[in-house]
Amino acid sequence: MTAGAGREVYLDYAAATPVDPEVAAVMLPYLTERFWNPSAPYARAREVRDDVERARGTLARLIGARPDNLVFTAGATEANNLAFAAVDGHVVVDAIEHESVLACAGMHARRTVRVGADGLVDPAAVARAIRPDTELVSVELANGEVGCIQPVRDISRVVAAERARRLEAGEKTPIYLHSDASQAAGALSVNVGSLGVDMLTLSAAKVYGPKQVGVLWASDDVRLRPLVYGGGQEGGVRSGTENVAGVVGFARALELASERRAEESRRLAGLRERLRSALASELPWVVVSGPRNPKRRLPGLLHVSFAGIEARRLVIALEREGVSVGTGSACAASRMRVSHVLDAIGMPRPLAEGSLRLTLGRPTTEGDVDYAAAAIVRCVRAEMARLGRDDESQAALAAALGAGAGGV
Amino acid sequence: MAGASRVFCGLSGGVDSALACALLVERGYDVTAVYMRNWSQDLPGFRCPWADDLADAERVAVTLGIPLEVWDCEDEYRATVVDYLVDAYARGYTPNPDVMCNQTIKFGTFVDRALERGADLVATGHYGRVERGDDGRTRLLRALDEHKDQTYFLWRVGEEALSRALLPVGEIRDKAEVRRMCAERGLGVEAKPDSDGICFVGPVGIRTFLLDALERRAGDVVEWETGRVLGRHDGAFLFTVGQRKGLDLGGGPARYVVSTDTEENVVYVTADHDSPALFCRELTLEDVRWISGDAPAPGRYLVRTRHTGELREALLDGSVLRFDEPVRRVAPGQSAVVYDGLRCLGGGVVRRDGPFVSPESE
Repeated sequence: MTAGAGREVYLDYAAATPVDPEVAAVMLPYLTERFWNPSAPYARAREVRDDVERARGTLARLIGARPDNLVFTAGATEANNLAFAAVDGHVVVDAIEHESVLACAGMHARRTVRVGADGLVDPAAVARAIRPDTELVSVELANGEVGCIQPVRDISRVVAAERARRLEAGEKTPIYLHSDASQAAGALSVNVGSLGVDMLTLSAAKVYGPKQVGVLWASDDVRLRPLVYGGGQEGGVRSGTENVAGVVGFARALELASERRAEESRRLAGLRERLRSALASELPWVVVSGPRNPKRRLPGLLHVSFAGIEARRLVIALEREGVSVGTGSACAASRMRVSHVLDAIGMPRPLAEGSLRLTLGRPTTEGDVDYAAAAIVRCVRAEMARLGRDDESQAALAAALGAGAGGV
Repeated sequence: MAGASRVFCGLSGGVDSALACALLVERGYDVTAVYMRNWSQDLPGFRCPWADDLADAERVAVTLGIPLEVWDCEDEYRATVVDYLVDAYARGYTPNPDVMCNQTIKFGTFVDRALERGADLVATGHYGRVERGDDGRTRLLRALDEHKDQTYFLWRVGEEALSRALLPVGEIRDKAEVRRMCAERGLGVEAKPDSDGICFVGPVGIRTFLLDALERRAGDVVEWETGRVLGRHDGAFLFTVGQRKGLDLGGGPARYVVSTDTEENVVYVTADHDSPALFCRELTLEDVRWISGDAPAPGRYLVRTRHTGELREALLDGSVLRFDEPVRRVAPGQSAVVYDGLRCLGGGVVRRDGPFVSPESE
């Protein structure tokens, strides 16, 4: 049944990454022999506490921050929730944020900034959305579905200008900039100083570390308020016994990601182009979304749409060929809705429903890409045959749906 | 064989409908699979698996290379099956929701919509057989696999709808064979468990569902023979004739529900498993339906009062069934289905016999 004689190609690294063997190796002792509670009074437990603080220090150094400003959480979703819990007033977000950010924003008075067809946020639009009572602006560093990298640095200038205005006018309302950098950390520098943010979310699970481990960095100006109460760990902001193995693994994972970032990004960009051109040469009517400028998009992400072909069926057909791909954010896929991201970039439904998000990762090889490209072409052609379509009618359909707004 | 006859086949994500689709494709029909989404609500302790079932249905459709449509039938299902069920329980009946679902959804809404869409035929994964006679009449026969036969749930489906129906799985001699045939075809569902019971309450059972829908109401559990109060219960609507479990009487012998009175909120029980109150010689039916549209001539027929239950001879006289020997009482609201040999003729709903009177108060 499987044409590829058992070959397995995973192309959904934006959904989950395997824990790097080096990361697993540093975690393992904390699951077995070094199991002590960091809050316990004896020497061994204090050693473990030191290990947690060392991990915090490593992460802080990697993002250009002081260790005391980092709060460990159970993943990026909780970190995003913690960021929003720091404010009561009006918030500004863009329309393609992760569900956790949109859901938190939904509990505040808010303005949602529209994005362009390439997914990019216009800093001027953020400036227009900010009101005198706006307390938080949240824009992700990179989007995990269409791969656009947002101009967070420019948006930080907008926020700084508003902060300066309030100071001059004697207004006391604070305003912060938060950025969820979960999807970006593998490919981009996440230095809080150069980004100019006040809060930053990171996830271990997207950088070959363990799931359910995240961190929220907040500047000295931000007063975080706890969502989880108890023994007062993490400076009282996040109670619960520290996930020692998790945070130690997270530190090592981000260290490896930082070391390999430049070279790995170049390699992934090459593989992504290889995949894109293989698909485009066989199926010239394929629509590629995301920014055209390679500096504005994640190197390992390719978003493709096949007009009028159901992506949900392609996922199943590809699975039978040993190829695992996503259709967008896993959250949207499981509820059978068109992704809010594709909706926001103005993609028509028949195109959105034919969309695959292909994300490459550290283990991906040229051979994997070639195999996956051939499998995708085969599966798309099989669906075309079932629907009685040819390349000409597919091209006409894609054109009628206004394709071409996207990138290359 | 049938050339390009268009068939819309219900595909639930389960084993039986998957094989039904596969067999129709192999027989050369132009098959469109339809996932009917009837219900998607969770209960405490039960996550409704509709999304997983749909994913399985999709896998089957892609494997067979046929289109799959999702039809939202939640409104009809709520109105004709769920509301009916809750209302019946509240009035002291023990209804068969599957019977209603087959009548109003699978052989109602589904058939109507399929025909509107240009279908020549419809199909499901039910265990039953449709016989098309030379006289132009359509008859419903029990499935070849008597252990799986589902005609007990199909008695309210009319001949008109049956005349459009194909039930390919009903021709297979046993369930193991069905699973084997699914596995051979790589449909990926062969290991799924049988879904017995009411689909929307899952393994938590009807009690949890009813307590979610109806108010608890404390009342007495009364010994039928003596009128003595033995304990308390949470609502007479939670109990059904013959029920043994769920009576919290603080020890003592096992007791069986003889009758419930939902108006006075009393549950009558007996410790005597052979109590005459647990038996009857005749059943009076209401809401009687005959598949052919015509009542059969009075006479002796086979009768079944539970799914795959024993087929007993009884004398049918109008809407009354008389048994030769006393039989265990059947809860009001349950179906009594009448057969002539293999042929399912139709049936009725067991009537509730007036307010129950215990010998003590007579």
